[in-house]
Amino acid sequence: MAGWQVGVDIGGTFTDIVALHPAEAPRTAKVPSRPADPVASILHALAAVGLRPEEVEELTHGTTRVTNAIVEGRLEPVALLATEGFVDVVQIGRQSRRELYRLDVPPRPAPVVPRERRIPVAERVLHDGSVARPLTEAAAAEAVRAALASGARSVAVALMHAYANPAHERLLGERLRDAGVPFLSLSHEVNPEAREHERSVATALNAAVMPLAARYLAELRRALPRGTRLHVMHSAGGMATPEHAAARPLVMALSGPAAGVAAAAAVAREAGEARVLGFDMGGTTTDVALILDGQAEITADARLADQPLRQPMVAIESIGAGGGSIVRLGPGGLSVGPQSAGAEPGPACYGRGGAEPTVCDANLILGYLDPRRRLGGEIALDRALAEAAFAPLAARLGCGVVEAALGVLRVADATMARALARITVERGVDGRGATLLAFGGMGPMHAAGLARAYGISRILVPALSSAFSALGCVAAEMSYMRQQTLRLPADPWDGARLEAARAALFEELAAPLRGHGVAEAALRREEVALIRYRGQSYAVEVPIAGLSAREAVGAAFEERHRALFGFASGEAWEVTGLRMRLSAPREIRRADAAPPGPPPEPFARGPCWFDAAGPVPTPRYDRAALRAPHALAGPAVIEDEWSTILVPPGWRAQADAFGHILMTRTGEAA
Amino acid sequence: MDPFLLEVLRHALSSIAEEMSSTVVRAARSPLLREAGDLSSALTDARGELVAQGRDIPVHLGVMNFTVKALLRAVPAERLRPGDVWVTNLPEMGGNHLPDVKAIRPLFAGGRLVAFAVSLAHWADIGGAWPGSYVAEAHDSWAEGLRIPPTRMFTAEGRDEEKIAFLLANVRGPAEREGDLLAQVAATRAAEERFAALCAEHGAATVEAAMAALHDRSEAAMRAAIAGLPDGVYEGEDFLDDDGPGGAPVGVRVRVTIAGERAAFDFSASDDAVAGPMNTTPNVVAAACYYAMKAIAGPEIQPNGGCYRPIGVITRPGSLLDPPPGRPLVGGNHETSNRCVDAIFRALADAIPERISAGGPTTAGVLILGGTGPDGAWQTLYEVHGAGEGARHDRPGVPVTRVHLTNTNSTPAEIIEAEFPVRVECHALRLGSGGEGRHRGGEGAVRAYRVLAPELSLTTMFERRVVPPWGLAGGGPGLPFRCTLHEAGGGARELRGKQNLMVRQGDLIVMETSGGGGYGRPA
Repeated sequence: MAGWQVGVDIGGTFTDIVALHPAEAPRTAKVPSRPADPVASILHALAAVGLRPEEVEELTHGTTRVTNAIVEGRLEPVALLATEGFVDVVQIGRQSRRELYRLDVPPRPAPVVPRERRIPVAERVLHDGSVARPLTEAAAAEAVRAALASGARSVAVALMHAYANPAHERLLGERLRDAGVPFLSLSHEVNPEAREHERSVATALNAAVMPLAARYLAELRRALPRGTRLHVMHSAGGMATPEHAAARPLVMALSGPAAGVAAAAAVAREAGEARVLGFDMGGTTTDVALILDGQAEITADARLADQPLRQPMVAIESIGAGGGSIVRLGPGGLSVGPQSAGAEPGPACYGRGGAEPTVCDANLILGYLDPRRRLGGEIALDRALAEAAFAPLAARLGCGVVEAALGVLRVADATMARALARITVERGVDGRGATLLAFGGMGPMHAAGLARAYGISRILVPALSSAFSALGCVAAEMSYMRQQTLRLPADPWDGARLEAARAALFEELAAPLRGHGVAEAALRREEVALIRYRGQSYAVEVPIAGLSAREAVGAAFEERHRALFGFASGEAWEVTGLRMRLSAPREIRRADAAPPGPPPEPFARGPCWFDAAGPVPTPRYDRAALRAPHALAGPAVIEDEWSTILVPPGWRAQADAFGHILMTRTGEAA
Repeated sequence: MDPFLLEVLRHALSSIAEEMSSTVVRAARSPLLREAGDLSSALTDARGELVAQGRDIPVHLGVMNFTVKALLRAVPAERLRPGDVWVTNLPEMGGNHLPDVKAIRPLFAGGRLVAFAVSLAHWADIGGAWPGSYVAEAHDSWAEGLRIPPTRMFTAEGRDEEKIAFLLANVRGPAEREGDLLAQVAATRAAEERFAALCAEHGAATVEAAMAALHDRSEAAMRAAIAGLPDGVYEGEDFLDDDGPGGAPVGVRVRVTIAGERAAFDFSASDDAVAGPMNTTPNVVAAACYYAMKAIAGPEIQPNGGCYRPIGVITRPGSLLDPPPGRPLVGGNHETSNRCVDAIFRALADAIPERISAGGPTTAGVLILGGTGPDGAWQTLYEVHGAGEGARHDRPGVPVTRVHLTNTNSTPAEIIEAEFPVRVECHALRLGSGGEGRHRGGEGAVRAYRVLAPELSLTTMFERRVVPPWGLAGGGPGLPFRCTLHEAGGGARELRGKQNLMVRQGDLIVMETSGGGGYGRPA
């Protein structure tokens, strides 16, 4: 019997689950998270969709455990072995400060490893991999002794230029393992790239979360039947084995948002959308991501809690604007967020003591949110409280409460549009031709406003949009990705070195996939070279799969450079790095498309305000009632238990057989 | 103006400036731009008042409030055409020092001039006597490099090849410099497209009205912030180590008058212009005052031209802050400017001790190594050195950071060693360098460079070697900077803070940076 494929996303407040089966309709649920006991959260979520653990064939899950440990600084003590003369690099950093004008905040977070646990190693490797000072057995033994004496169970090793020659790190790794160190993190494995501060911090952070990750994954394994295959979401939007995640827990650091983007990428592939902007709006933040040809764009520069992670991750622009964001009028003007009313007390309309106006309150005032609905069956919304919270702001601005609510949403849209600009412009993409893929609790309600603000005319609200991260866990491909420094000048071109580096990367990435029984022929390989003109700023990412000849690589680079910056100079260029992604496309088994349904009937009508001219009677539909091939013309509101899709005048919404809703702009109204 | 539309347009304008900076960072060549991020971007209104800024260096932003205004005085607005890019670096024309090259594109809507896009970038070389264009012994501005008056180098038809060739013939590393220039031009082109789209959507008149309203709003916010400071007249002074080539410490003195909603900064009592490159321009002094007021009174205020209206700045012609034409001033941009901030902070130390920090590394801490690579091309390594932050009333200073007007990154040793013939032998905390106090000053750093090429030029440009970072409220001073050259043949000597010399294979340059000043008497 084929079983269920299940995705579970454990967030800070809710745990989402999506379960797919070849012969049954998809099931989904949202249950409160139990932060102290994530395994219980998973079992609870399974129960909520009526599944026993034995019925689960495959479970993939995303967790914020690693994320939260880093953000909250709940890190295990780490001893750091570093090249003599460079032990303080982990603290010194790049010496710039984040806040230009604020003197009261410290310019940098506290160091991941305090000075007393930084241990110098007598050795030195150079950038070309040659050894300037060999590591003797005696020196290695001395460093190992010091590491053991520090009392730390986690040990990080980050030696200069280890990405170019890892021999010294490997030797220390062996000796530390022989000495019984349980958690070991080597920089050439965690982040084989140049830039010593970033690599040291990432390696130390990895070591600091290893015990927690190992404990958690072991617990989870014990709680599930032996026959259930377990996977973990990683931050590049794919899934990995628990063994891989335990050794490199840093790959999970941004897995929550990445899961949503993975789902968006899967939907984009399925729907054949070439250019998609993922728009995930929740209670406190909005995450946007760019998905080109079904693949999320990747960055290696992601930071968490102002610390570099240096893992290839889904490129996400995150801004502090969400449904609970508080609206303030300060010396810098009118702002939406980053302060949030959070879940407690929540927006004013929750009636739990929140008094400041929020984005959620504006949506209620304008009639978009339905006061008769209870969010998750629990929270009742009170329009009078929302108006009371908006009244002082409206008075200060000299307008009515409705105008203030309309205005606040426009400002929120402008704030979010800036994030869209950042994620696209850096990659030389014009986002205005893209399809906005809206999910998260608030995404579908704000999509049309944001689309208008940014000049987008196509919106896709996917099925299961409110449990989208969980869907991402089910839909993600098994994939491994690695970026490494490779310094390769165009002249003289050493094609053999490129081939050797390629082959080594391939072998490393393919090993866990083969171990998982993936056939060689099923492996899909993507390859990006980082190339720049000699002496240039940042390198340009150039897809070079299948290219080896200097001329071909150079032509691909110049074409990309011209697309990004409007010029290409024909000067000497050089490769600085290589990134490879290996994936095994995964079969998603789910029931056939739903049969066509009858035309939808509204369950209610109510006033909605789309501009200051006055309310417009607007029909409200149950999302389940809108089925292919039917369409609705705005104004209309489409609701399910967890989210609301707003279709303003001038927009049209059409359902497809898989439950996705495509909104297109039909006119200039609203 | 509709307050919501104003916010929408503010976000749109800031987004354009951010896009400019990101374009320059990604496409430029100078290592300073690439690892250190020594660049800024701005939009101004048609009169040249700063409206929006991208990722930024405070000293640049203050200066860019003057650049376009100076351009408009030199070039009648009628001569500006759509598609133009004007290039300038003259210190006396809304500038700061020769390496900071500004590319300025006028932006039109409906045939009318409505705004300017300005991209400022620090070029790794602008000619002059020494690679990197920091000349310790310079006695005039011409010794410091190529002086570019406002020059139209690009038009709607494309590049003006002869002018660009002239420019590139006068700087080291012409291919790299061309790359910098093209990156800046690309940034202003991106701004032009985005700005045109914004005007098409909302109407140029609305965008202009929004720019005016943003100025007014920041002005009102800055007035309110100044009103929150205690009225009074406060005097402060601090000293440069020397005038460049040598000599005694040079005084920077300010009289700060806080009166209701206005603040005035009178630097008339500062010392006379000096012979060496430590002079600076009134634009830079104004940038220092703007920075100080924002840091002390209103970090959240949107920085633009309006924000600066309630702030008056007076410099005395003939002083080192308002020197006679033609004086050298390359170091003044980040050294003397920071000394102005020190003087202001010391003036206000007794009145508002909890709002300010003890003395920190108010210097860019520059070392420049230059030479020709194996292919004969010029290479420069421009190293900036952070140091210990000054302590505050509620916390110790943080080790090895940048403060105040400067905020550039260091370059990783692993990048330097792969691209330049030096080996970094150590990068460590300088333990014990922070000043004593109830809260200690932050620690400085030690960084050592071994020369691997037969010969390299070395330029130093740093301060706080003689006059240490000051303690506050009874706290002690930090240890000062020290730069030592250990010669391959044996022997060591301390280098001056402003010096040009040749170093040879096997030499070791050890830079020790200052500790921060402490806060409060030690318990």
